[in-house]
Amino acid sequence: MPNRRSRFRQPRFTLVAAVFVLTALLVNVPAPARGSPSAASNTPPAQYTVTWNGGDVSSAGSASSALVVDFTQQANLLFSWNLTSPNTADVSDARVQMYYFGFAVATRDQILTNPVPRGSGTIPLSWTPLSVAYLLEGVYRITASFIAANGSTLFSENFYVRDNAPFGVVAILPIVLIVIVLYEVYGLARSGRYAMLGRAPKVAGPGAEPPKSGGGPTETPPETGTAGEGATESGAPPSGGSS
Amino acid sequence: MSAASHGAACGVVIGIVLVIFLQQVSYLDLSDLVPALIDLVIGGVVGGVLGALIGWVLGRSYLARHSASAATQSK
Repeated sequence: MPNRRSRFRQPRFTLVAAVFVLTALLVNVPAPARGSPSAASNTPPAQYTVTWNGGDVSSAGSASSALVVDFTQQANLLFSWNLTSPNTADVSDARVQMYYFGFAVATRDQILTNPVPRGSGTIPLSWTPLSVAYLLEGVYRITASFIAANGSTLFSENFYVRDNAPFGVVAILPIVLIVIVLYEVYGLARSGRYAMLGRAPKVAGPGAEPPKSGGGPTETPPETGTAGEGATESGAPPSGGSS
Repeated sequence: MSAASHGAACGVVIGIVLVIFLQQVSYLDLSDLVPALIDLVIGGVVGGVLGALIGWVLGRSYLARHSASAATQSK
């Protein structure tokens, strides 16, 4: 019979425990760190515009209408604002952030050295998120923000981009995920062998040869932690499927 | 560890990984934390239940096959 304590030493149990701990830590992240920008309440949003390679990002406000981009190619963003006559804005920083699981995985800033309050202006920003280009693909939310000199957010806009990995598949994360799924499917397909664990060994029939007195101990199913790939038909499970 | 629990463990991992993979192929949006965690939990639970069922069925099939072969050998 497998030792109950040995379950806690198994890699699968450790993985599940790590996932729960990580989930608990992520839930406890304070709200400001999660990056949920909002527009300034006293500023009409139409006076601030952001374009991505010439296209207005306001048309990509949902995941279904995301801009199709390639993170290996340079993106040219243009932050512009045009306020009515008496109003001015001291924009000192134009910022784009890409979010994944609520956290900014890529950030790009264009900081003005001598910001002057102006009624209108533009800030060009070139961005090539090459650090995540070969790591991730898929749909991501991006936030474009106008930051004032005092650090407050004058305006921000959320939009979505859909990144296609180079050659369609050359990204590390989806490849790793496919490998994990294949490994676990293999382990799931072989999980029937675990049904033999914990069962008493078969009693020899009347026609079978009786065991010799003083012989070795009867064969018992091995523990799951010590079963190897070369498991025999006696019920030892494969080691596949552990993660 | 029984066949059902082993299948459930495999199913939980497959469910969670599939949710992340669906985001990578642009079927899901995991940009926000709480909805993403909800999707992961749903994927893990569904995968675990399905994996437990599959493991249970495979375990019964394995026992049936091996008990039949053992009975054949004893004759």
